[in-house]
Amino acid sequence: MNKKLYFLLGISFTVGLVIVLIYGLFYASRPGEIPSAQIHKTAKSFQATTFDGQAISLKQFRGRPVILNFWASWCVSCRQEAHIIEAAWQQYGSEGAVFIGIAINDTREASLGFIRRYGKTYLLAPDDKTGTISLDYGVTAVPETFLIDKTGVITEKVLGAINKKTIDRFLSGQL
Amino acid sequence: MNTRKLVLFLIGISFAGVLFGSEEMENRVREIAHMLRCPTCQAMSVKESDAGLSLNMKQRIRELLEEGKSEEEILQFFEERYGEWILRSPKKEGFTLLLWTLPGLIILVSFLILLQYLRKRSRETAGIDTSPLSKSELRQIENDLKQL
Repeated sequence: MNKKLYFLLGISFTVGLVIVLIYGLFYASRPGEIPSAQIHKTAKSFQATTFDGQAISLKQFRGRPVILNFWASWCVSCRQEAHIIEAAWQQYGSEGAVFIGIAINDTREASLGFIRRYGKTYLLAPDDKTGTISLDYGVTAVPETFLIDKTGVITEKVLGAINKKTIDRFLSGQL
Repeated sequence: MNTRKLVLFLIGISFAGVLFGSEEMENRVREIAHMLRCPTCQAMSVKESDAGLSLNMKQRIRELLEEGKSEEEILQFFEERYGEWILRSPKKEGFTLLLWTLPGLIILVSFLILLQYLRKRSRETAGIDTSPLSKSELRQIENDLKQL
């Protein structure tokens, strides 16, 4: 092998390494974003009993867009979005949109206190003690919101406090 | 008296069995929890974390084990819900496989190139006459040095 060939091999390896590095750093994943395995999948049905004693099942809302929010009374960002979700419920509830809030890793008393404090009136229920619903949705933190379309497919997951713009955008295409 | 002793012995055996069984179960829960990433923490496994979601995951692992699910089935259960991201040792396929094999491949290719280079050098040096100088050659060199 001559020197030129060694040089070409060295260059090829270096370029290859740089390409892999750039891909890994900027394209393979976004460090600030936890991927969700639930997007574009049919939302798992669940049953729950709301804080005011109403039995609900996700199945019963098929044909209507659902905003499924996981929250907890101890979560700071949940306070930030509480008014936003309630206002959206007041605006879109009559048009057929469904808003469900599942409280996770929280005590009943604390959840009820939060509901009263922020005047939440949509469907609010606690997850069970082992977090069956939140585990089924692959929840990584609170708040986390799943946007489920009329066909029951999860179209988007919002990590952190949801904003009005996201809710408006989603529901404008569904209602 | 003997019957009482036998009953106490049997109770002791049963108690030890329950204790041993639950200890074994907890070990298995810990082993599997160690293979899963804590969703809310930085660089921690579910085993090491006491976050609410991690505690729920440990409880779910326990329930699945009690249902007779294998380690593989339990890992698959969490992967289906959270994606491959939840596994602390991602499957060696696709881009991950490339990342796993690339360092070894680079070392191997570099070693082969170095080996080839050393062989070439050794062939080149093999052509050089390294036999001792003759007397006339030595005399010639000495004369040349004197003239300097």
